[in-house]
Amino acid sequence: MKKIISILMVSLMLVSVLLLTSCSSDSGRTLNLFTWAGMFPDEVIDGFEAATGIEVNYVNFDYDETMLAKLQAAEGGDYDLVIADDYIIEVAIAEGLVQKLDKSKLPSADNVNPLYQGQFYDPTDEYTVPYGAGVQTIVYNPEKIALDIKGYADLWDASLGDKLGIISNYRVINGMALKTMGESYNITDTAKIAEAGEKLKTLAPNIRLIKDDNLQDDLLAGEIDAAIMYTSQVTVAKMTNPALEVVFPEEGIGFGIMAMFVPSKAPDSDAAHAFIEYILTPEISAKCYEYIGYYCTNAAADSLISEDYRAFLTLPEAFTAENMEMIGNITAEADEAHLAAFTAFREACE
Amino acid sequence: MIKKAKGATLAVLPLYLFTLVFVIGPLILMLVLSFSPRDGWGYGSGFTLDNYAVVFSGTYLNTFVTSLKLAVISTAAVIFIGYPFGLCTALLPARFARFFVSTQMIPYWVNSLLRLYGWIIIFRAGGLLDAVLMGLGITEEPLKLLYTYPAVVVGMIYVLLPFMFTSVYQVAEKLDLSLVEAARDLGAGRAYAFLTVTLPLTLPGLKTGVILTFIPSMGLFFIAQILGGNKVVLVGSLIEELLMKAHNQPGAAALSVILMLLTGAVCLLMMRKPRWQK
Repeated sequence: MKKIISILMVSLMLVSVLLLTSCSSDSGRTLNLFTWAGMFPDEVIDGFEAATGIEVNYVNFDYDETMLAKLQAAEGGDYDLVIADDYIIEVAIAEGLVQKLDKSKLPSADNVNPLYQGQFYDPTDEYTVPYGAGVQTIVYNPEKIALDIKGYADLWDASLGDKLGIISNYRVINGMALKTMGESYNITDTAKIAEAGEKLKTLAPNIRLIKDDNLQDDLLAGEIDAAIMYTSQVTVAKMTNPALEVVFPEEGIGFGIMAMFVPSKAPDSDAAHAFIEYILTPEISAKCYEYIGYYCTNAAADSLISEDYRAFLTLPEAFTAENMEMIGNITAEADEAHLAAFTAFREACE
Repeated sequence: MIKKAKGATLAVLPLYLFTLVFVIGPLILMLVLSFSPRDGWGYGSGFTLDNYAVVFSGTYLNTFVTSLKLAVISTAAVIFIGYPFGLCTALLPARFARFFVSTQMIPYWVNSLLRLYGWIIIFRAGGLLDAVLMGLGITEEPLKLLYTYPAVVVGMIYVLLPFMFTSVYQVAEKLDLSLVEAARDLGAGRAYAFLTVTLPLTLPGLKTGVILTFIPSMGLFFIAQILGGNKVVLVGSLIEELLMKAHNQPGAAALSVILMLLTGAVCLLMMRKPRWQK
C-alpha cells in the first residue's frame, strides 16, 4: 500500500513539474507589472491584453521600500514596468535602476498635465510618466462644523476641539504647520522645523485621531468632523457622503505623484512602453482615475472624467505651479527633526 | 549510558542551532546595527554612539516614560482582575473550573487584532456601550470613549488578562488547601492566612503572569493605534516610524536594544527569589 502511495505521489509531482514547464514555455509575450494592488480596473488590463496580445502578469508590493529592495535584488531586471511613489523613484534613478524612456514610442506623453512634470524626482521627465497624484486637501462635514474652513490656519480654531482627524504622515502634518508659517515643505533648517513642531503642539486640543488606514470611515461615522486625509480616502468619503466639503487650502497645496518607470534591465521594455501609451489614451486614463480615485495627471482625460468625480479628481483652475509644492526627499538631519517634532506633537495630543 | 546522552544531544542539537541562527544571530546584528552610523537609508561601517544620543534626547525619553506608565497601569489592572479570578477558579470543583478555563481561552483562538476591532464597535460614538447607557437613561449624549486613554487600557487588559489568569490558575490548582486550614486552626484570621500561606504559595504564578503581561505590554503598540487614535506614543510605534517612515535602521536598533534591556531587567527582578524563600 505504502509503495502504491509513494508511486502515486512521485507521478503527481512529475506531472505538476511538466505542467509548470509547459506553462513557462508558452510563446506569448508577458508584461511583468509591479505595483500596489488595485491600481487598474480589470477592464483596462483586459483591454490592453486584447489590443496587444501581451499578457499582463500583475505583481503586488505593499510598500515602496519593499519594491526598491526587490528591484535592487533583481539589479533592475525581472520587472518590465513599475508604478511607485515619487520619493522612492528619485532613489531608484540615482541607483541606476531605471532606464530612459523612448519618447518616440509614447506619442501620448504630451497629454500629461504640465503641472505634474519636471518635478524633483525626474526634473527632465526622461525616466517617468505620472500615473495619478495625491493632493493634500481638508475635508469636513458642514452639518457639524459651522466654521467656513478655507485653509490650514482655520484648523487651529477653538470651535474644532477634539473634532479633527489627521493622517499619520509627519512630512504632511508638520508641513501643514510650515505652510501656515509661510515656509516650504522641504526646508532643511532644523530650527524652523522645531518651530513648526511647537506651533503644531498648539493644535493638539483639536486632534481626536491620528491614523493612516481608512480615516474616511471615522469621518463618515461621525467620530471626527474634519480631517486631513489621503486623496483616495477623500474620494471614498465624498462618494459616500456628497455633502462633505473638500477644501484646497489657501496657503497652497502639497502633492505627491505616483509615476510609471521601466527598470534598467526590463525583460521586455517594448511591452512596458506599449502599456504606458495605452494608459495615456484619454478614455482609458479617465476610467483608471475614476477607479483608483487619485488626481488625474493626464490633461487630455480631465474632461472625460464623469461629473460625479471631476470636482475632486481634477484641480480647480486657480491652481498653478506657483501655489503647488511637492514633498521631496530632505537631509537625514531635517528628517530626524521632523520625526522628533511629530512625536512630541502626538504626545501632546494624549 | 553514554549512548543515551549522545542521543539526547543529537535530539536537542537542531533546537540549539535554530536558536543560535534565528534568535542569537539577529540579536547580535541588532546590537551591531545600533552602534553603526547612518548612511542614507541604510547604515555604514564604523562605531558611533549617536543613535543612543538621539534616544536619550528629551522627546524619545518621554516615549519610554509613556510606555512604562501604560505597562505598569495595565499590569496592575491585570493583577487586580486576573489574580483573584485565577485563584477562585482553581478552588471550584474540577468540572466547573475546566468550563471556566475554556470560556477564558476559546475567544483567544481568534486573532487579537480582530477582537480589538470588536471593541471599536462597543466604544464608538453611538455604539453598543452608548446605546446601553443612553437606553438606561444614565447618559444623555454619546460619550466619546473611542480614541481615549481609558479605551487603550481596556484593550490592554483584554488582550493580556488570559496570561495572568492561566499562570495563577495553574499554580493555584496545585495549592494544598490543608495548609490554609492548618493556618486557620492555629488561629490565623482569613486575611492573615491569605497573606502568609496562600499568597506566598501562589506567588510563582503571579510572577510568571507579571512577566507574561509586562513584557508584551511594552510592545503592544497596535492597541494604542487602534483604540487610542495613535495619541499614546509607545516605544514600539516609535520603532516602527523610525524603520518604515524615517528609514533610520540604526536608530530603530538602538531603541530596540534599550527596550530589551528594560524588559530584561524587569524579568530578572521578577525571577529573583524573595529573601524568605532562600
